[in-house]
Amino acid sequence: MRKGTRLRLVLRDLGSGFAFASMAVSGQLPVWSLALYGLALVLALMGKRPFAHRVKLTALLLLAVAVTLGTNVLAGSLNLVVAACAFAGLISAQRVLSTPDAATDGQVHLSGLLMVAGGAALSGELIYGLFLILFGVMASIALALGVVEAAVPEGEPVPVRSVMGPLARGVTFAVLGAVAFFIFFPRLNWNMIGPTASPGLGVATAGFSNSVRLGGSGTIKDNPRIVLRATLSPDPERDSLNAYWVGRTYDVFDGQEWSNARQASGPFEFMTTLRPGRDNLVHQRMELMPAYGARTLVALETPSRLGNAFINTQRGSRRTHISEQGGGEVRFRDTGISYTYEAYSLPPGSTGDEVRDLPPEEQDALLAIPDGLDVRVAQTAARVLNGEREPLAAAQKLSAWLQREYKYTLELGGDVADPVADFLFQRKEGHCEHFATALTLMLRTQGMRARLATGFFGGERVTGGYVIRAGDAHAWTHVFVPGQGFVTVDATPPSHRASQSSRVLEQLVSLYEAVESQWRNAVLEYNFRDQMDAVRTVFPRQRHKAKGDEAPSRTPPPRAWGAALLAAVAAYALWRTLSRYLARERPLEATRFADAVESMLASARVARADGETLEALDARLGKEGHPLASALAPVTRRYLEARFGGRPLRQGEAQQLLSTLRNAVAMEAQRLAREGTRPPRARAS
Amino acid sequence: MKARRRTTWWARVRSRLRPPRTLKVTRIGRTYLVVTFGVGLGALNTGNNLLYLLLGLLLSMVVVSGVLSERCLRDLSVRRVGAEAAFAQEPFAFRWAITRHHGHAFALTLEEADSPLTGVGGVGYLPAGVDHVVRANLTAPRRGPLDLTGVRVTTTWPLGLFAKTRTFPLETTLLIYPRRTYACQDPGAPEQGPVGDAGNPRRNDGNGDVVGLRELAQGEDARRIHWRKSASAGKLLRVEREHEERRTFVLTVAAGLDAQALERRCEEVAALAHRLIEEGHEVGLDTPEERIRPSAGAAQERRLLRALAWLGHERPHGDEEAA
Repeated sequence: MRKGTRLRLVLRDLGSGFAFASMAVSGQLPVWSLALYGLALVLALMGKRPFAHRVKLTALLLLAVAVTLGTNVLAGSLNLVVAACAFAGLISAQRVLSTPDAATDGQVHLSGLLMVAGGAALSGELIYGLFLILFGVMASIALALGVVEAAVPEGEPVPVRSVMGPLARGVTFAVLGAVAFFIFFPRLNWNMIGPTASPGLGVATAGFSNSVRLGGSGTIKDNPRIVLRATLSPDPERDSLNAYWVGRTYDVFDGQEWSNARQASGPFEFMTTLRPGRDNLVHQRMELMPAYGARTLVALETPSRLGNAFINTQRGSRRTHISEQGGGEVRFRDTGISYTYEAYSLPPGSTGDEVRDLPPEEQDALLAIPDGLDVRVAQTAARVLNGEREPLAAAQKLSAWLQREYKYTLELGGDVADPVADFLFQRKEGHCEHFATALTLMLRTQGMRARLATGFFGGERVTGGYVIRAGDAHAWTHVFVPGQGFVTVDATPPSHRASQSSRVLEQLVSLYEAVESQWRNAVLEYNFRDQMDAVRTVFPRQRHKAKGDEAPSRTPPPRAWGAALLAAVAAYALWRTLSRYLARERPLEATRFADAVESMLASARVARADGETLEALDARLGKEGHPLASALAPVTRRYLEARFGGRPLRQGEAQQLLSTLRNAVAMEAQRLAREGTRPPRARAS
Repeated sequence: MKARRRTTWWARVRSRLRPPRTLKVTRIGRTYLVVTFGVGLGALNTGNNLLYLLLGLLLSMVVVSGVLSERCLRDLSVRRVGAEAAFAQEPFAFRWAITRHHGHAFALTLEEADSPLTGVGGVGYLPAGVDHVVRANLTAPRRGPLDLTGVRVTTTWPLGLFAKTRTFPLETTLLIYPRRTYACQDPGAPEQGPVGDAGNPRRNDGNGDVVGLRELAQGEDARRIHWRKSASAGKLLRVEREHEERRTFVLTVAAGLDAQALERRCEEVAALAHRLIEEGHEVGLDTPEERIRPSAGAAQERRLLRALAWLGHERPHGDEEAA
């Protein structure tokens, strides 16, 4: 295999791999296709191409796979786009394992193109953009090396290094051109067939459901992914908000899990009012990220009104309805990738709720304790309260006792028969749900109304708003105080309420989320209106004072097109000018090169006669067998060629030659230092 | 004067905007364009911004490909170095010298424009200021003078999607010698006369290289005795030398042959002349158009081939040829 061919094949295969990865990040490809392609890529990168002599057999296998995929599509178990992408990946795998020739190379690159196109249809992830660029770079280099290799006569090496510079500039301009095209090409959407919606890498983490079961593990506290962004008005302007963001509450506990006495859902509407508002409501503009993974609206405690919701899918954004569920939960009607909505919450303090306002079944549930609850729970509560009957004071007393006597842990022993008793009297450690459940039940055993609330605790300031991470998921207690309503009391130790992930990981994820946010805003959701805004920013519209002006056109004005054309021409002219400037012949460059050589020789104490030219010096040192003669000879020859032979020094060549000579001078100086002799002086002739 | 200056300026702009290039889409380029079209349709259909981004990248690569290939073909100069000898229907080595004055060029292939010569030469990387000699094995279909109008330089740099071609006008004539096929006919009887030696080829009494020694027979020439060997052997030994046979042949091409027969006869004569001259004979040529006196050596063979190549063609005054 010729020098350079191996590199070209590796780049070709890597390009194909990145193209496949751009589809794989969608998480929609069948696992077996991932495994098959991964195996093929590893074999190809190792230089093993077992399909080289089995073209017909492997083509038959591909046909069988196509039939299987088609059957799955017809049966409705596989999406057509996903099936097509998987098949493109397998075609590419078959090609990379075949004999590498010009036709095969072209097929690998073209299948790669199909794969990145499929990836664009399947995924909107930021990492897709990275894989797209990597594919473009790898495939471009591989194609260019193939083109040069085809022109190089047999037996001669492929000039790999010489190819890289011009090609890198070309690819850079192509990427810039792609960005310009992306910005300025008018968005004309026929919208005949929509793509499949995909949450991408966003893993559902919130998981609000109709019940909360104690037990299991609390690994969600380690998850640093951002699930919620909120912009508050008025802005508290604090770096750490440390606020409770409630999703829903639970009032019935059966000994194992929490649920609600009232399951009925309210009507679908654009704005839902949970409780009467006041003048000083806190306005929140909320954005639920793809990592949120639930349809429950979240708001600062205590929410008053929620609505004006929009759902984001890959088909675009649209307004959606919401409805109130049991437990004060408000839920979106439709499922989407992400959501935006507005919420209004009461300022921290009392809610003003009255028991009589609640449905009768909920009133009863607030005092209900599960059958068979360990009697030690009530005894312990009475012992701790020691006659305290005021609900809020009692809750705070119990909360302080729990925080003092019990440890927080995410390591649990799994399901047990009585998780509350197990927490209070056996393990004496647990996570937020155990603390909140214990506090709620202990209050109820003493005849005080209480319920469990779930949502998030925290709020980290980022770019004028607050973000909530999946690890901020939390549970706490609402204790009913007559005249004030439900008041939040949190029994979980304060240091364990917010996310438990590492700080470095959180910063990394924040960086990723910020870039992804930019990607989503600037790329995925870029639309015709943004184009117009960009054009208006560049070319501010001048208002005509004359009356009777026609309505403003919705199409770009001709001057925008003209400006774009001028910009393109200017960019091309600038490129040409810069290219010529960099490639210009530098006058007296050879003379400067000779001066540098002579200066270096002088520093090495090589004596020269008056008027002795570099050529004569080189010849004399050669005759005398001077140690620097071998290093000086090519330098002198190249100088003479550049000065008199019409072969100017290439860019960087002078530095390279001088570097070689400098190394020789340094080595000679070291040798002399070791021998302890004075440097030889060339005899002047 | 002003109008003329304006015309010159406009002509320069036009020539810059429309340089004399030809563009051909390669096979992979066609598929690339089809995929680009498909991605464009998909982007318009779905409004998917990632497809717009991909479409922009694909179209930008097309533009960059055009610009980079144009840069490769600029500031080039080409000259023909030529060939030692060009025979019809046989691959022969042909050389061009190509130089780029500024910048570097990649993936250039050279071929003769608008000529029946087949074959291309290639250079992968051409640095600035280097006179690079490109070698190609060309094949000419028939004998005779071949008018060469120019050299076509093509590049598929950088991605192999398009083949851009620039033709350098270089007019000359390449003389294609007849193919030296197998000669069915005997060259005929050698010419008798004062020139040449027609002795018995089996006799080792020539004046060529030493073949061996044997005892001197009765009546043989004493000048053949190797005295030193004879003295050491104690008997008279004579030197046997290879008999150099040199005959003189005059090959003829009869008048009145039709085109096919003439081609066939030229090929035979070329083959015979080559064989005879290789054997050391002197060969002459008698054609309806000229008569070449018998002589030996490579120069004579070249004269004969040139005469055969021109046979049936109108010979220019200057007898130009590239080969």
